[in-house]
Amino acid sequence: MTPGHARAAVRQAPPPFSPVLLLGLALKPVRPQVLQPVFDAMLGVIRRRHPDILDRMADYADKPVCIDPTDLPFVILLDPNPEAPALTVRREIDPAEVAATIHGPLDMLVSLAEGKVDGDALFFSRRLVIEGDTEVVVALRNAIDGAGIDLVEDISLQLGPLGRVFRGMAGAAIGLVGRMRDDFEMLRASLIAPAVKEVDAQAARIDALESEVRQLRKAARRGSAA
Amino acid sequence: MMRPELVCPAGTPAALKSAVDAGADCVYVGFRDETNARNFPGLNFSRKELGEAIAYAHAKGAKVLVAINTFPRAGQPELWHRAVDDAARLEADAVILADIGLIEYAARSHPGLRLHLSVQAAASNPDAIAFYAGRYGVKRVVLPRVLTVSEIAAINARIAPVETEVFVFGGLCVMAEGRCALSSYATGQSPNMNGVCSPAGEVRYTETHEGVTSELGGFTINKFSRTEPAGYPTLCKGRFIARDKASYLFEEPTSLNTLTILPDLIKAGVTAFKIEGRQRGRAYVAAVVQAFRQGVDAVMAGRPLPDIDLDRITEGGKQTTGAYEKAWR
Repeated sequence: MTPGHARAAVRQAPPPFSPVLLLGLALKPVRPQVLQPVFDAMLGVIRRRHPDILDRMADYADKPVCIDPTDLPFVILLDPNPEAPALTVRREIDPAEVAATIHGPLDMLVSLAEGKVDGDALFFSRRLVIEGDTEVVVALRNAIDGAGIDLVEDISLQLGPLGRVFRGMAGAAIGLVGRMRDDFEMLRASLIAPAVKEVDAQAARIDALESEVRQLRKAARRGSAA
Repeated sequence: MMRPELVCPAGTPAALKSAVDAGADCVYVGFRDETNARNFPGLNFSRKELGEAIAYAHAKGAKVLVAINTFPRAGQPELWHRAVDDAARLEADAVILADIGLIEYAARSHPGLRLHLSVQAAASNPDAIAFYAGRYGVKRVVLPRVLTVSEIAAINARIAPVETEVFVFGGLCVMAEGRCALSSYATGQSPNMNGVCSPAGEVRYTETHEGVTSELGGFTINKFSRTEPAGYPTLCKGRFIARDKASYLFEEPTSLNTLTILPDLIKAGVTAFKIEGRQRGRAYVAAVVQAFRQGVDAVMAGRPLPDIDLDRITEGGKQTTGAYEKAWR
């Protein structure tokens, strides 16, 4: 397999038009290594607050997983080895390096980590795409879902007296992103409205043609029977 | 009308808290090994976690039932005996068992422990139920998902005071439960003995330009187009070619949902409503438990049933009342 293949599915299913997608475009020139301290800190919080995640992943210590936020220009390599766990941010990952890959938009992956959405339901609806070793993905999903992660709360509790400030800022940021997402959705709907109208008209024409074909076939059968 | 208990699934301590907080009367769980029929990776409870979970549930007035519902390996029942012993020691409110030898062990070793008969035992008639109740003191039977509401009412009329529990939401199993060998054939691992139907290690999804292909044990069992909702990778929900046409020969990917017929099930004398899905996440548990809590409370208060949309968490994006109504007849 060639490097970059881990993002093949991303090209087939474009990410949703969202504030995160714009952030991703803005981050494109940024070297992934610049973001590494954020992921190191995040892993530290998880190790302190949710050690049971690595405990549940103990049987999969040698099975790294690629987490691919499809609206960001980088992927995250999770090494679940309990002795030396790591979250490494990379531009792309050769699938041969990992046991499995999970693709999905960032806000969905965060909601999944926080147990706000059901992983099976996301998979059924095809919004979450998994490739590779299904067992390690299921184990990771169960381990994370079972930990009861709340990212804002987890980080706040690590910041001591500054936690309250962080909680307030995070709440405001989440509210802002939510409002932006609504605005983006309105913009998206507005931009594609002419195309949707055309598709609806085409679908109606196809329905009418199919109905006509059915009637003609019926008439032909009656004719041949007579 | 008797108020039915809401029996809810939990695969992790966090899911148990979600279930209890959402209004579950009982939560059923399993140990982290092959003694239960959801022996999935990263799922289930250690002994320490179960002890803490029982304390949490009891403090909130909820019960905890421990599923030890696989069949012990011949000559090696120790793991299953230990599970029963530990459930009793940790003060679980009941154990859910399927194997007749294990039931005998539990009844003999822990006379005070409440026994429920798992759906895996496939007891679907009054004679079978009377045997388990009379011989071992089984107090409740989880009925297989193949009976109509009127058949359930007829059974209840003949087995009192034994209680019945029926599935009200989640995955469907159309096979003779506890006896199905489809997954064993494809993977070499048994749902009934190893606790794994379609073990994740044998499942493979491959993304193609057309959509996704699912394989189990190297057998291609389904292909979904890019816009088609997917389902669980079980052979009974595989799509096979017969007479040159690919179709679901056994069962379509669909979730059971009985919200609309809850009054009928209550009238049929059912003691407990069971929600399937110990393998599902906290979000599923919270959403389904809340919906059925509202549903049961509405029926008991004489209010109209709430119109709650659970489409987003169903398998294949579809719902059915299954055998309860047998609408296909």
